[in-house]
Amino acid sequence: MALFLEDGVITTVVGNYPKIPDLPAPGKWRSAVEKFQKGQIDEAALRRVEDEVTVEAIRDQLEAGVDLITDGQIRWEDAQTHFARRLRGFHINGLQRYFDTNVYFREPVAEGEVGWAEPITVAEYTFARAHSTKPVKAVVTGPLTLGTLSRNTFYPTLREFVLALARALNGELRALAAAGAEVIQVDEPALCRHKQDYAVFADAMGVLTAGVRATLVLATYFGDLGGVYPQVLSLPFDIIGMDFVAGHRNWDVLSGAPFTKTLMFGILDARNTRVETPEEIVAAVRRISSTVPPERLQVAPSAGLEFLPHGVARRKLRALVEGVRTASEALKGARA
Amino acid sequence: MSELPLLPTTAVGSYPKPPYLLEARRKHLRNQIGKAELTELERRATREWIQIQEELGMDLLVDGEQYRGDMVAYFADEMAGFAIAGLVRSYGNRYYPKPVVVGPVGRKAPVTVSWFKYTQSLTKKPVKGMLTGPYTIAEWSFNEHYPTRRELVLELARAIHDEVVDLERAGARYIQIDEPAIHTRPEEDFDLAREAMEIVTEGISAYTVTHICYGDVPKIYPAMLHLAVDQLDLALKNEEFALLETFRKAPFTKDIGLGVVDAHSHRVESVQEVADGIRRTLEVIPAEQVYVSPDCGLKTRTADETIGKLRVMVEGTKVVRSELLGAREGARA
Ligand SMILES: [Zn+2]
Repeated sequence: MALFLEDGVITTVVGNYPKIPDLPAPGKWRSAVEKFQKGQIDEAALRRVEDEVTVEAIRDQLEAGVDLITDGQIRWEDAQTHFARRLRGFHINGLQRYFDTNVYFREPVAEGEVGWAEPITVAEYTFARAHSTKPVKAVVTGPLTLGTLSRNTFYPTLREFVLALARALNGELRALAAAGAEVIQVDEPALCRHKQDYAVFADAMGVLTAGVRATLVLATYFGDLGGVYPQVLSLPFDIIGMDFVAGHRNWDVLSGAPFTKTLMFGILDARNTRVETPEEIVAAVRRISSTVPPERLQVAPSAGLEFLPHGVARRKLRALVEGVRTASEALKGARA
Repeated sequence: MSELPLLPTTAVGSYPKPPYLLEARRKHLRNQIGKAELTELERRATREWIQIQEELGMDLLVDGEQYRGDMVAYFADEMAGFAIAGLVRSYGNRYYPKPVVVGPVGRKAPVTVSWFKYTQSLTKKPVKGMLTGPYTIAEWSFNEHYPTRRELVLELARAIHDEVVDLERAGARYIQIDEPAIHTRPEEDFDLAREAMEIVTEGISAYTVTHICYGDVPKIYPAMLHLAVDQLDLALKNEEFALLETFRKAPFTKDIGLGVVDAHSHRVESVQEVADGIRRTLEVIPAEQVYVSPDCGLKTRTADETIGKLRVMVEGTKVVRSELLGAREGARA
């Protein structure tokens, strides 16, 4: 894909995007869900609204000038149940807190052998690609994150559970690649909290990505990779995403060994409303470019943008693109 | 607190708002009705909930938070230094107006005192003063002003302390400081949360409670026993009393507010289930330390579900209470 051959820094996102507009409008997605729950509209009508809102999320990213986008995960209730509901072996339990956020998700419970039954995100990916003029990344929640945020009542050990999930999700990655997904991102925020399980994680990543022909991204966030770096560089991924806001320590972590992959550089604070100035982004890009050359750099928010109100998310994306453009010019100038 | 029976029944704080109040809140947002008219309906709803709690035979009452939208935004709205950033998603299609700290935070005037006074005037039973704690207000707000979370949390703790003092002066003998977010970053921040609670309750003689929910409670146990309050109110039913295993590891040295009905399920539990939950708890924590409550605020339930859950809570408690009193009578005879 031409995108990665270009000589210069690109911008991307981690994944989710606000589903509703700012106040006072209630937003068509939220109204549609309410009507669906009351039985006033059918599922097809709800899906149509989700399509419309997805198109809007894509448009926001394109208008901001983001180079590599996602579909905004508008259809996802959360990153766990979106997969667990469609894999075999799970039922869905009550609410749990999502890491250190004020966001809640319904806890999946594995009560039998887990397995891949049918494509989960393929139609979402092809829809987004058809509605975007820029490349689209497919995103899948990784087996360690899905495993540690679920309750396991079937497998004797975490290792067996996570490896079974990796086998199941390998089906999804293969289906995405077969549908033409050139870039597939695996989200593993749990790695930052479960470094003691790195051996399980590394084995699971091997199982997960076996036979998958695509550019593969490992996205980590909500913490740093101290303790598992540079080991992560030998995982079967082309791009490693790291959070430099909640995982501010990643600056030190990277100084431990040369960064040999492409870095998804999570520098825009996805969890606070203060919009970064272009100068701050320029300074961060300059700083990281002494470690990672521009052609191996993708600048991104620190996590998904759904933690923010809609207007702020949009302003942040614009600031990101503006800052990165300015930084790229400066870096090119310095080389010439 | 001799006025309360053994195993006093209480609630965490919020109850659902009746349809007329929801409608009035919508109209108020659109400037179709004034503040005075809205307040009158909030008072009516509060009176109704007090009456319901009395009829059910609850012991320590709450005002039901009919005048609040969200537990953090309510305080942010009434205090200096905050703005509302916008709606962010909590789960499903539930959103909340998330505040943002834009300047030095502090109280402009007492926030909850007039509602406490009003509610207490409606009943002879004690009513809890209800506050949101500094760690949770900070954690559930964006921060564009303070360089560190610590500075923000401690500044908020001083403001909430002033509110606690004012509630006590207004006659509150039970004051609850909700900290559902206190264990968000247990390793990094629990000492800060503890320091903040010490500031909040310093020099207070009222009985103090903190409500903690969701998240990894075992991670802050037994450290949570050092929080500067008399009672820890916790959700037990949601995990079918699995927390009792945690409490077996170190003696539960405070009073417990024992969540016996799930605040997030539609199903109304049976009296038997409630009684069993309490009995299982009494194997681990002495009855003198146990208050009985729902897992969490009930505002997301329907009125029928809420009343149903409160009723089985009271009835289940009565069953165990009379077993205990009977056994004690028997022992004395
Ligand atoms: Zn709660």
